Amino acid sequence: MLQIKNLKAGIEDNQILKGINLEVKAGEIHAIMGPNGSGKSTLSAVIAGNEDYEVEGGNINFNGKNLLELDPEERANNGVFLSFQYPVEIPGISVSNFIKTSITEKRKAQGLDPIPTKDLLKMMREKMELLSIKQGYLSRNMNEGFSGGEKKRNEIFQMAMLDPKLAILDETDSGLDIDALRIVANGVNKLRSADNATIIITHYQRLLDYIVPDFVHVLYNGRIVKSGGAELAHELEEKGYDWVTNEEDKKWA
Amino acid sequence: MGLIENLKSYSEGVQISDEKKKVFTSFMSKGFPTTKDEEWKYTSLKKIVTKEYTIENTGEIIDSSTVIKYSLGFENRIIFSDGKLIGSPNIKGVSINGFSNFESNTTDSVLQLNKALAQNGFTITVDKNTVLESPIEILFFTNTENNFSQYRNLISVGDNAEVKFVERIQTLNDSTSMVNNFTQIHCAKNTKVEYNKIQNNTPGSRLIDTVNVYQEQDSTCDINTLIFGGSFTRNNLNFEQNGSNCESNMNGVSILNDNQLADNHTFVDHKSAHCRSNEMYKGVYLGNSKGVFNGKIMVRPDAQKIDAFQSNNNLLLSDNSTIDSKPQLEIYADDVKCSHGCTIGQLDEKALFYMRSRGIGIEEAKAVLTYAFASEAIENISVEEVKLLAQKLLAQKLNVDLDFSL
Repeated sequence: MLQIKNLKAGIEDNQILKGINLEVKAGEIHAIMGPNGSGKSTLSAVIAGNEDYEVEGGNINFNGKNLLELDPEERANNGVFLSFQYPVEIPGISVSNFIKTSITEKRKAQGLDPIPTKDLLKMMREKMELLSIKQGYLSRNMNEGFSGGEKKRNEIFQMAMLDPKLAILDETDSGLDIDALRIVANGVNKLRSADNATIIITHYQRLLDYIVPDFVHVLYNGRIVKSGGAELAHELEEKGYDWVTNEEDKKWA
Repeated sequence: MGLIENLKSYSEGVQISDEKKKVFTSFMSKGFPTTKDEEWKYTSLKKIVTKEYTIENTGEIIDSSTVIKYSLGFENRIIFSDGKLIGSPNIKGVSINGFSNFESNTTDSVLQLNKALAQNGFTITVDKNTVLESPIEILFFTNTENNFSQYRNLISVGDNAEVKFVERIQTLNDSTSMVNNFTQIHCAKNTKVEYNKIQNNTPGSRLIDTVNVYQEQDSTCDINTLIFGGSFTRNNLNFEQNGSNCESNMNGVSILNDNQLADNHTFVDHKSAHCRSNEMYKGVYLGNSKGVFNGKIMVRPDAQKIDAFQSNNNLLLSDNSTIDSKPQLEIYADDVKCSHGCTIGQLDEKALFYMRSRGIGIEEAKAVLTYAFASEAIENISVEEVKLLAQKLLAQKLNVDLDFSL
């Protein structure tokens, strides 16, 4: 589904990603871990098409398409979804209106007519139930005054509504208490299928207790320095990032 | 030749009272305001009044499909065609008549002109205790080419009455038209009045619109102004609070492009204690458009415990658009709460990316954010049909196919 080859990217003169290689197949869950500043969020931003970052080299292939040539909205409409680490507050637009607009736009891109409002509301109610979201939430303004947990739940709610092929969860566990974490993880697990894939970006192993990854990668200094199975996350939790980073620092010293 | 000469020769051919003649002479000695006049500093009438206009209306008949096209579909409709009152509803507790002579404060030359020569307009009297659920819709149509028309309207709302209005001024041809519209509203004790102005006229039309509101105690009056069309729009909105516990609310949304100009001039005269005023004006400027906002709040010495709020927020979405915004607070009482704020900005890039990452195209994302920006003022409108129209026109103006309702 996703092939990233030798991806180099940064902001202005500061190169953050220094040659990322990653392959994600349908049905797989990949976890990308790493200490702060290693480039985790940059990677997710570049995949989603954030124009603040400049791609200096390499390529990203997504289901046969050169992702780097597509606008952010085209990437989304091809099935890429980014759950933001810091979801943006948009006063004046209700959650329901926002989601209706994005679903309508996605369908427009696919040459489909808008979903009747009645059906859309029914679908929203189903997904709200999946994520234990309370009534009244739909009419609130998008992320405005939401707690950290509510914002993250709102991201997963959008993911559930948009049904992406590839979901990137950027630090979705940060700001979540243990109950919210369980609900969000449960939602992600239920949305999982043989046709979609998930990349979980996280600093801690915590979320991976609930969403078990097929692969774990350690990102450090803009490179994937170690890859393994789910057990790698436990090992990292036990030994700390130093275990990997010291070795790496020696190599580049 | 220009409008002044057109008016002069018109005045010579009509029968008007000596008093009106005097007022007209006063207007002629001053002429139209210029940018040297403080209240017109940022808004020039020069290009507008140097043009030729026809003053006399021919009173052409319009067909019902035209009315339907521009109406929001309310049952109670007052319809003018070229100044002639051609439709007026029968409503229990409300008397609706044509033009009447009434006293008004006319130091302003534009209002003097209106007082001297206006021969058309409506007079509405709402009996006390009358509560109307459905708004009264007022449609002014102009058929005549290059027409200059004036309306002079009076609304008197009796004690405890509640009434809403929706007004639209519409030119039916591509020519350059100009309207000088004046409406005086008297809100008696404990009344609730809402007046919605839909200003979406043709690209060739110019408008000077003045509303003077006189409020008695416990009354609430809302004036909502939606500016989408017309090349030139000047709105003067003056409130006078003459009793305690009055509330004056103003909401405005302007979405302009090309060379459009819209100027909202508001004045709230807090003459009594324990009153409130709220104004929220949102402006979105594209192309070479220009916005002006001037909001004056006067709190007289005896008007204690006043709560006055004013905000003017602007989005400049092009390099060549401009806004001149001027809050003016004159406070002579010491126990009052007055706040005002003005912002000028662009769309939030982070929010744009967030929306695009959800599959919303860049133009649509901009439109959604613009709607979000304006929505606070739109939400304050209580007439659902007006709200929906505002959403529709906003999408149209931003050239996107979006529906903001759910």
